[in-house]
Amino acid sequence: MTAGNTLSTNAADIVAVSAAGHVVHPGLPGLPAEPYRLAADGTPFLLPTYGGIVYNVSVGDRAFGWAADCIHPGVSIHQADDLKNRGLNVFACVGNRAKVMTGGAAGTTGVVTGKSGRFSEQVIVHFPREARTRMAVGDQVLVRAEGRGLSLADHPAVSLKGISPELLRALPADETDGQVAFGVAASIPAHLVGAGLGLTSEGGSLHMQSTDRALLAELGLDRLRLGDFVALEDTDSRYNHGYLQGARAIGVVASTDGPRAGYGPGIAILMTAPAGQLAGFEVPEANLVDLLDLDE
Amino acid sequence: MNQGLRWNFDDLVEMAVTGRVSQPTLRRGGYVHRPDGVGEMLPGMSGIMYSARVGDRAFGWAADHVEPGVSIANPDERADYALHYLTCIGNEAEVVTGFARGAKGVVTGEHARLLVDFAPEILDEMTVGDTVQIRAQGRGLKLESHPEIEFKKTSPSLARALGLQEKTGRISCPVTRELPARIMGSGAELNAEFVDQDLMSGDRVLMTELGIDQMRLGDLIGIRDVDHRFGRSYRTGWTAVCLCIHGDSVMTGHGPGILTLMTGPAEYLDFHIDAGANIAHTLGIRETA
Repeated sequence: MTAGNTLSTNAADIVAVSAAGHVVHPGLPGLPAEPYRLAADGTPFLLPTYGGIVYNVSVGDRAFGWAADCIHPGVSIHQADDLKNRGLNVFACVGNRAKVMTGGAAGTTGVVTGKSGRFSEQVIVHFPREARTRMAVGDQVLVRAEGRGLSLADHPAVSLKGISPELLRALPADETDGQVAFGVAASIPAHLVGAGLGLTSEGGSLHMQSTDRALLAELGLDRLRLGDFVALEDTDSRYNHGYLQGARAIGVVASTDGPRAGYGPGIAILMTAPAGQLAGFEVPEANLVDLLDLDE
Repeated sequence: MNQGLRWNFDDLVEMAVTGRVSQPTLRRGGYVHRPDGVGEMLPGMSGIMYSARVGDRAFGWAADHVEPGVSIANPDERADYALHYLTCIGNEAEVVTGFARGAKGVVTGEHARLLVDFAPEILDEMTVGDTVQIRAQGRGLKLESHPEIEFKKTSPSLARALGLQEKTGRISCPVTRELPARIMGSGAELNAEFVDQDLMSGDRVLMTELGIDQMRLGDLIGIRDVDHRFGRSYRTGWTAVCLCIHGDSVMTGHGPGILTLMTGPAEYLDFHIDAGANIAHTLGIRETA
């Protein structure tokens, strides 16, 4: 797509630093607990969930309809130590370059495409499908973390939250008096914002809700793809996520839908403003795959 | 009580669970942040709350998530989950150690800890670490005449005190006010059997416009288009009746705590506005102005 913008930023002042993680193993609760989670209607289910190397789901694929619970596309990484993981989770920005440093796919480069929220706190990295077949759980992935501290010189009311300078430059954008607008595939109304409300907006993701399937179909939201840019209406994500009329948050769909109440697709929030200073305009192909020319 | 209602009170098991009076804690750093990022250092959670009591206002305290009454927890994780999941609102509590031993109280909320109301003169006799025992009863509660409605954390005494009305198969519960689904926030990530979901009070203009800033601790409230059975999510045509258990917060996505008591399809569960629908009054705990 022909995208990109010439918005003035402080990208020249942004520090790039290493943040390493290891490919994480999927986890499930052990005995004597049931392995089941409950769907929104109370039905028990046992499905693949976040973590690990996912071979057949990639950024750009559909976010709905998988037999999975909030699965991460591509490869998920984390640090076993909580404080170190916080460093990875907060400093890694969507759009950052990542490299496999150990194992059969050492040297392969990829791109950070999202983060996951409370109870998992992993960074989601896209590597080409072929490279994934050569990777192993435990392999080290190094992220060239840059983007924290990034700001828009002419739009100080817009807070940027973990977006790389490169991705910001690639976004279709439009400036009008006192407002900057970015291309998004869809807008999500405030009453469909779910898990993640009230929690930190400096890492992790904010989930949309998907219990009301008829409403989702009506709004066309069930056609969202992983990597799509979306606007969350009346949502203030400056310090935690919450409701505020006129505020807006823009993020990228980072994980798939799931059956649990409050846990539709997870959205990594990348920017927000409290009072109309940030807007979205519809660009159906506003997806990371096109914006960053990601390899299959 | 309405004669058309048939409960399974006689089948409910009553058993003891305990917690100890908690000490307030702070994380290193200690700040909570306002929506514009400004840090605040505020009391509110844990401990013995001498000033805020069920029936008092939920907004305007110089506090964050103020928990009325005495806030208790069990130091053993599994025992603490039992305390959380078995205790119901309206259950009777008794101080079993210390100077206030033998004093009776009432469970008025479940937050990160259980919240128990005692009369002010009893609070003066209590200390951090005192053990409070609760006669837990209410799990498994069913309104057999109206099986479409699910109850959570509702004790038999609260069930009797709700003032439910029945009209042509539909139950209506008195509530002080209605909250719009779009402002229901933190707690969306939890299962609906555990603690509460904060209403998001960050839109201060809306709080005033809808009169939400007049809410009191212990108020019954209604929400339309939400399903609170297994998690708390938006769903057209479903209804929840909830209880305000803790006070307002400065943090984005937070606000007074709203704990689920009943949920069901709107064709079976409704609510109507009644300014007196506060458990301080309906459970006979105290009278307020």
